[in-house]
Amino acid sequence: MSQIAIGIAFLGAAMAAFMAGIGSAVGIGIAGRSATGVLTEKPERYGQLFLQVVLPGTQGFYGFVIAFFAMGKISDFIASAAGLGISDALAVFSACLPIAFAGLLSAIHQGKTCAAGILMTAKRPEMAVKAGVLYAAMVEVYAVLGFLISLLILLAIEVPAAA
Amino acid sequence: MPQVKLRQSILEFSTYPPVGDDDWRYAFATARVRALETQMLPRATFQDMANAQSFENALDMLSAGQYAVPKGAAGFADIEEVLLQRRAEVRELFASLMIDESIVELFKSRDDFANLRLALRRALTDKPVGADYSPSGNVAPEVLEQAFAEENYAVLPGYVRRAAEAATINYYQDKDVRRIDYEIDRLQALHNIDEARRLGSIFLDGLFRTQVDLTNIRTLLRLKFTESEQIDVFLDGGFLEPAFYKHGLDLGYEAIGNLFFATPYQHLVEVGAGYLASNKSFLKTEGQCDRHLIGLLKSTAQITAGPQPIIAYLLMKEHEIRTIRLVLTAKKNSLDTRLILDRIA
Repeated sequence: MSQIAIGIAFLGAAMAAFMAGIGSAVGIGIAGRSATGVLTEKPERYGQLFLQVVLPGTQGFYGFVIAFFAMGKISDFIASAAGLGISDALAVFSACLPIAFAGLLSAIHQGKTCAAGILMTAKRPEMAVKAGVLYAAMVEVYAVLGFLISLLILLAIEVPAAA
Repeated sequence: MPQVKLRQSILEFSTYPPVGDDDWRYAFATARVRALETQMLPRATFQDMANAQSFENALDMLSAGQYAVPKGAAGFADIEEVLLQRRAEVRELFASLMIDESIVELFKSRDDFANLRLALRRALTDKPVGADYSPSGNVAPEVLEQAFAEENYAVLPGYVRRAAEAATINYYQDKDVRRIDYEIDRLQALHNIDEARRLGSIFLDGLFRTQVDLTNIRTLLRLKFTESEQIDVFLDGGFLEPAFYKHGLDLGYEAIGNLFFATPYQHLVEVGAGYLASNKSFLKTEGQCDRHLIGLLKSTAQITAGPQPIIAYLLMKEHEIRTIRLVLTAKKNSLDTRLILDRIA
């Protein structure tokens, strides 16, 4: 039973890392392709575009941090007197879900928003931060909310004293 | 390409037909044309060229950009060479950025129809077929020449062969060369719309149907002005049926605009018909039609990634080149500035 529980808990940690990571990779891919298109004709815009290309990458880091915390929690449970029960494993798994899904979807949509901002920057560079970055940052808010909820749930899970 | 609802009606949009959805395979290409769009000549440049004191002054306004004519070569042949070079470059860029090869072939077919029109006119009026055909089509000029020389049309693609056969039959009805043009225009419009639907592109469908409507509006005003009896020349496939335009032939210039009340074309028809009635000229009609089409192409700005902005760039760039040629030709022939301003969209 404990092996299944460990599996469920690690699955949660893995989902937090790879789903948010996939989202970031897709998002950066979209924004990056748009940026290279603009840079082909206007290489002087590199600095203005850089921030918009890397913004969708933050979700991957949020997922990584949550996965790291979750693994710490799993280790604490395994080392505890009671070990890791199914209910504890499900709690860790559930804690990882907000950033896994919020990270995946928000990073892809943020990449699209950044791509639109990059196209606007090609024509109106003065709007790069005002609209390009700011609108993309609004998408980021929902990734941050997912990250915070994941973190708060993980912190709320109490681990019994060590054996 | 995503599955989209084609066969939209004119009541489903306000000014321009919908341009469709994003296609993220085109993120790089779209960004590149957005950057290139910033190098296009603004409307003010054309107005300044039209207002220039002389042809040389108008030409000077192009000297700093991509249309600069090499120093010491200011003859019109040199200018034409630069314009053709720029057009070839933009078509090459279009072909390199477009992932869907079928769309490139569709736009290349414009040259096939133009070449066919020329070859048929010559062949049916017993003139030499010649060798001055555009090399930018899907059919190489030498293949076209060979097909006409040997009267073996099997080597031509289906759409060219069908157009050649239909135009030849149409010509022999009363041996009027204009019938060749009418038939090729009709088949070209249908070919474009059919291809757009086969490709599932709501943007191309709307674009080609709008082009058909604009051609029909021009035809309506021309037939009305010349009081021609030939009313079976309206093209099929547009948002408005040919019967709609035939009805317009019975109305006065002042009432034609109202006929288009429920369509996006009311303003352009009103302006064009009013100008035609007062000045006996189609300049405003042409200008307004160009302006409407450019408006549709500019509405692709809402697409972040997709073939639509690349197609729009190709067509806007070709329009820019045509406008430069038009203004410079007008200045060279010392045409009235007001007429040039009335014409440019």
